[in-house]
Amino acid sequence: MKVRVETVARTTIVIPEGRLDFGAAANFQVQVEQALASAGQGPAALIIDCAGLEYISSAGLRVFLLAARGAQRSGFSFAVCSLHQPVREVFDLSGFSHVMTVLPDRASALAQLPGGSS
Amino acid sequence: MNECRTRVRSEAAQLPALAKFLQEFWCAAALPPAQSLAFEIALEEIFMNVVTHGTAAGGQGHVDVCLALAEGSLTLAVEDEGPPFDPLMLPAPDTHSRLEERPVGGLGVYFVRQLMDAVSYARVGSRNQLRMTKHLTR
Repeated sequence: MKVRVETVARTTIVIPEGRLDFGAAANFQVQVEQALASAGQGPAALIIDCAGLEYISSAGLRVFLLAARGAQRSGFSFAVCSLHQPVREVFDLSGFSHVMTVLPDRASALAQLPGGSS
Repeated sequence: MNECRTRVRSEAAQLPALAKFLQEFWCAAALPPAQSLAFEIALEEIFMNVVTHGTAAGGQGHVDVCLALAEGSLTLAVEDEGPPFDPLMLPAPDTHSRLEERPVGGLGVYFVRQLMDAVSYARVGSRNQLRMTKHLTR
């Protein structure tokens, strides 16, 4: 799995691509933690863009939970966007859709989160 | 192809080999691609459970995985040589609790229960056997 990181205005976007299984979860967690740590330098929001995510297991979902909690602690907004239908179903099963903001695409995530468009 | 089995060492590094085993079976049996995800998840969750909880004393345990297609249903069986462990006894996570209260574990077996039509555990001799079945719609 590949993980890319982009910055748009004051928002950090983490983009996991491929299969987020047990083996890939550790590297993904490092990338998310680095994005969260850079909060002190200014990002107002963190987005995980899942447009390239083909598969996720509980090991991968765990990192989303840690990301949502980390963002809450750091006081900035967090959203997940662009989930493909099968991955979305796993997300819904986990109940995570109730405890984190899930948006259809990156444009709506940037528009809704503070720091996304300025 | 109606039945296929493989044996791997009980270690996390074998996970890609198992994912490939499932994918190859799926292609060879010409099963609908959109329905593979439930089995991919079940295989990873149960295999990782065995790796984490179930390695036989002295290590170097093995896990046997079998896929069997019958009457439109696919059965995934995972067997290991570890001490008796029934993952179906694990409590279901509260999927409605608040963000701060969410435990980070416990979702794996819950996914398997939700994604499969039937799941059963048996201790067969000195082995744990977990069977998961789901009907595939053509």
